[in-house]
Amino acid sequence: MSDTPPTWRRTVRRRLLAVAVIFGLWAVAVEARLVWLQVVRHEYYVQRAERQQQRTITLPAERGDILDRDGRVLATSAEATTIYAVPTEIDDPVATTDALCRVLEGCRESKAWRDALLERLSRRRPFAYVKRQVSPEEARAVKALDLEGIGFSSESRRFYPNRELLAPVLGYVGIDNKGLGGLEQTYDRVIRGEDGMSIVFTDARRHAYDRVDRPPTRGASLELTIDAVLQHAVERELRAGVEAANADGGVAIVMDPWNGEILAMASLPTFNPNVYGEFSPEHRRNRAVMDIYEPGSTFKTITASAAFEEGILTPETPIDCSPGYILIGSRRVNDMHRYGVLSFADVLAKSSNVGAIKAGFRVGGERMLRYVRRFGFGSRLSPDLPGEQAGIVWPELNDSALASVSMGYQISVTPLQMVAAVSSIANGGQLYTPRVVRAVIRDGVRTPIEPKVIRRTISPRTAAIMTAVMEGVVERGTARAAQIEGFSIAGKTGTSEKIENGVYVKWKHMASFVGFVPSRKPAVTVLVVIDTPRAMGRTGGVVAAPVFRRISEVVLRQLAVPRNLNPEPPVLGGQDVHRVTHCITSCDVLGVSVTSPPGTITSRPRTAPARCPRRTGARGPGRP
Amino acid sequence: MDAFEYQIKKDIRNNPIVREVDQARMREMWRSARVICLFAALAIYSAWQHFELIHYGYRLEELQQARAAEEQINRHLRLQLEALRRPQRIEAIAREQLGMVPPGPGDAVVLERVTPSDPPAHSVVASR
Repeated sequence: MSDTPPTWRRTVRRRLLAVAVIFGLWAVAVEARLVWLQVVRHEYYVQRAERQQQRTITLPAERGDILDRDGRVLATSAEATTIYAVPTEIDDPVATTDALCRVLEGCRESKAWRDALLERLSRRRPFAYVKRQVSPEEARAVKALDLEGIGFSSESRRFYPNRELLAPVLGYVGIDNKGLGGLEQTYDRVIRGEDGMSIVFTDARRHAYDRVDRPPTRGASLELTIDAVLQHAVERELRAGVEAANADGGVAIVMDPWNGEILAMASLPTFNPNVYGEFSPEHRRNRAVMDIYEPGSTFKTITASAAFEEGILTPETPIDCSPGYILIGSRRVNDMHRYGVLSFADVLAKSSNVGAIKAGFRVGGERMLRYVRRFGFGSRLSPDLPGEQAGIVWPELNDSALASVSMGYQISVTPLQMVAAVSSIANGGQLYTPRVVRAVIRDGVRTPIEPKVIRRTISPRTAAIMTAVMEGVVERGTARAAQIEGFSIAGKTGTSEKIENGVYVKWKHMASFVGFVPSRKPAVTVLVVIDTPRAMGRTGGVVAAPVFRRISEVVLRQLAVPRNLNPEPPVLGGQDVHRVTHCITSCDVLGVSVTSPPGTITSRPRTAPARCPRRTGARGPGRP
Repeated sequence: MDAFEYQIKKDIRNNPIVREVDQARMREMWRSARVICLFAALAIYSAWQHFELIHYGYRLEELQQARAAEEQINRHLRLQLEALRRPQRIEAIAREQLGMVPPGPGDAVVLERVTPSDPPAHSVVASR
């Protein structure tokens, strides 16, 4: 028997060897490929996988709200749909453009809009905006078309639910969520917040199954000093006054003289910040801080304050205004009438230019300038409102300039400066920083902004004298149209010619009135400026004072300020005793909760409690 | 003639012989079986967890999208509410539809002014 293996064994062994070699080579190839993919090209494939499996999305921060002093929303943000196109997926750009233009506002009416859209869709690009931040109706209409290559995304958009209300103060926000005017601009960094980021993990079908978020930080909300209801009333009355006078525009400011809070600030013409692009910059301007004007006779309050504070004049000091004019060099300044000899109180009451100039001369240029600056003129007062002008105050005053400044010419002020200055008279001599923002609310924590006194302007004694003198203006002077029954009012009218191209225009005026009410314990200071009145008259007493009265009536009622002249008797008679007494303890009167003890109203013993007058039905009491 | 060969099968009776069970080996076998079962259970549990995680990932994503949609609706409704509360609109309805007029000077008498106190500094307010 031979030792050599059988033939079949050798054959099997060769074949097994061949198979083993093949398997070995295959394994080596696989291993080599794996090393190539996982070691050599590791970074590349990791990045590629991340691109396919992960999407990084920017989470835009929600802009904070702007609220009025009672928490009413004046500006807020909400999602809006943006329509975009993928032009490379659109086969027929003309048909797509036509279909879109049938439902998109703006495109329907404008051929230029349509041509621009067609051009965007015709370019072979991967992305093009069709229209950003459309209305829900437009988005629904476009979605219903189900067009190839048209997509939708969400963007945050700013909305102003009250439309024109307070628009010049609030400002507006651009398409990229950046504040472009008003408080939106000043407080942009506070309101805007910080964008977040989200990494979304998707599967092969691009369905998200996991995510890692860095959430956005919501912007802070602003609580304003503005009362939206008062603001509406002020805008309504100012608009009525501007229309009645056929004027170019107007400004009205209501200020709390005790802390500098602006309760209402109206500027006409105005605009709708939801569609700010449709309005010219002229409409978007906040005239209360961005426009300067020569205040005219309202500035005589500053001249008088300086004279009283320096002890140069008293209200009884006689001033001879008899010629009805005064010559300063070759320049002649006239009064409206020949007043003769007037007390200084009457100089203000009758708004005599001659008397004011003579008082100004007694004060002197240097002292006058000191008081002008002390009252805040020539400098910006409020940090809240962008574009505030400092006004124009001359560094030195010669005789002619002193005469002009004494009666409110050759000096330019903003309406805000004027109301702040008169508020300092109203509160006894403290000049407060006028402010519109009352508190900042971040993450539910309200941080108030405290009132800030800039400086003392005059002593309380001078302020009291000024109050009495300004009361005379309303009682017997040029501002009788500002009188309100039951309230004492201190104020001053002003009428100044406008300057155009460096020349005073005789027939264009700024008519104004500034005052505070009730004068002995002021609740508000109100300024009204009417720009270029053409009907009714041209003076502040005729044009602005009635607007002041109407605004003040609403403000006093809204703030529940009791009358200080001939007040309601403290003891009531008949059925009213029971009704009012009961209401004082359990109801609210005129919408204001009253918690005073009944004894402050009546000393009579209370009998069976009467029912409160029910406030049923929407129809309120009409005029008697 | 070849010799007749035969073999008589010897009848061996081994019925009484009992194979001895190796207890140690049996214990080892059962121990191994238990370990294998444990590993298998762990593997199944791990796989189940993995798939549950993915499932809940999808579910979470759906819910987050639903929440975002609800929040968006909420914001729009709040916006609508604020638009409906506009003072201009309310006044227009009061005047034109209800025939109301502003109160005259004698229609409202204020007996005493009660001013609301300011909220305290750094107060916490309800988020909207």
